[in-house]
Amino acid sequence: MEGFLQNYGFLLVTLVQQALLALSLYFPFMAGQLSLASPGFYALGGYIAAIMATVDSCASLRNALGWTIFPLEWLVAALVSGILALIVGIPSLRLRGIYLALGTIAFVEILRVLFLNLDITGGAIGIFDIPQLFEERWSYILIFGPLLVVVLLFIHRLQHSRTGRAFKAIREDELAAGAMGINPTYYKVQAFVIGAVLAGIVGAMSAPLLNTWNARQGTFDASVSYLAYVLIGGSRSLWGPLLGAALLAALPELLRPLRDARLIMNGLVLVVASIYLPHGIVGALSRLWSFFSTPSAARGGE
Amino acid sequence: MSMSHILQADRLSRNFGGLQAVDNVSFTVEEGEIFGLIGPNGAGKTTLFNLITGLTPVSSGTFSYRGKLLTGLAPHCVAGQGIGRTFQNIRLFKGLSALENVKIPQHSRTGSGLMSGVLGLPASRHEERVVEEKAWELLKLVGLSGRAVELAGNFSYGDQRRLEIGRALALDPKVLLLDEPAAGMNAAEKHTLTAFIREIREQFHLTVLLIEHHVPLVMGLCDRIAVLNFGKLIAIGAPAEVQQSQAVIDAYLGAE
Repeated sequence: MEGFLQNYGFLLVTLVQQALLALSLYFPFMAGQLSLASPGFYALGGYIAAIMATVDSCASLRNALGWTIFPLEWLVAALVSGILALIVGIPSLRLRGIYLALGTIAFVEILRVLFLNLDITGGAIGIFDIPQLFEERWSYILIFGPLLVVVLLFIHRLQHSRTGRAFKAIREDELAAGAMGINPTYYKVQAFVIGAVLAGIVGAMSAPLLNTWNARQGTFDASVSYLAYVLIGGSRSLWGPLLGAALLAALPELLRPLRDARLIMNGLVLVVASIYLPHGIVGALSRLWSFFSTPSAARGGE
Repeated sequence: MSMSHILQADRLSRNFGGLQAVDNVSFTVEEGEIFGLIGPNGAGKTTLFNLITGLTPVSSGTFSYRGKLLTGLAPHCVAGQGIGRTFQNIRLFKGLSALENVKIPQHSRTGSGLMSGVLGLPASRHEERVVEEKAWELLKLVGLSGRAVELAGNFSYGDQRRLEIGRALALDPKVLLLDEPAAGMNAAEKHTLTAFIREIREQFHLTVLLIEHHVPLVMGLCDRIAVLNFGKLIAIGAPAEVQQSQAVIDAYLGAE
């Protein structure tokens, strides 16, 4: 067991972390919004944790709080991400479809350039020697695991609530949703903020795990990866992003023997999936299930 | 001005570039009336509905409901005032179940927020039960309770039309706007629909505005009719009067 955790523990932590980031993208997706802003909030959350854990002005706070500084970092990251998402979301959610995606990519780029040039974020070098929460890296599953469970429960409950129905109505037909008494702007911003808060918390949790934090965290590449997780897994079920992240984040490890060619495999999976599985893996599985569980007479076959 | 006017359009206009889609239209609707809106294709009937429900901003003029100004309000605020509608080209939430379709418009009558819903607090659980119950009632009313979990997009055309009326009723409207509810229906279905519209007017104390092309249906069902042509109101009155109007005959058959 010890050996297994040594070898695969970090991979497991990475899978859960990536799944959480995929789910942060899933929230705006629930309301039909193609937002790629998550990596920006992930980077922001990480910087907040890294700064709170290393700068001298926080030293007395760290001494006073002991290990409880870590939950405080998550809380601050969540708050700042949420407020920034509110400020950015209200104007940018006027954009639709691919334009919103482009707008959010620009947002991620702006943050990246800011982090690269600010003194407090350590410029190009970034912030290093971030204190660890656990001695072993695999132990981080103790924070990412429960967070994943909480987020899955949250989404599950959300889907059957008044707010979740408003999200779905906007995803299906924004104009009709408005005519049925739902304020589309309010709920689109809400979905965007929830996703941003989650990404911020995951970033804050990841900074100690990675030990260093710099502007290579949360880039356009990451936006594309998270989008691929959601699309390949399936964007209509909370299991989609989870499965997509597990599969695609594990793929490079499984294909290690292929060396550099493994990235080609990543691209290939994406292309094949978007052609043959337009509703993602979970979508295809649920169609298969309903096909076999419906009596053939009801399928309308003559 | 009599106090029984529930709706009042005052010189409503909307132009799209050079096209005057709705041109200086004024009329009033009495409470409990079934008010028909007819006219040749492109006369501006649907645009008028869109102006009333806030989907299209007016160029000028006002529309008020019980003396309260609706023009300038966002669509969800108009809906919140108790004005429900259906769409000419059916805009159900096609990827959602029939049940969810009739749950969604109950939004403005309920109030539980994000956390209350996710945590399942007592108030929101009570609210969910009420929403669920009302949703089933409405599905029964439109005769689709046996297919509640099916996706709305899989329904036949006629069933979608009925579900869309059910969805509009879920808003608990005082005014119901029906945009060509009988389009694509056969004679028997049209007959059933006429009875159904009368029935829901009684049951829900509705005022109904109705766009329809099928003249016998409009003549039989409506208390009063307004006729639009090229965005202008050319006649208004009881069905028999409108039928005799020279302007209407000219609009439909062409003037000599």
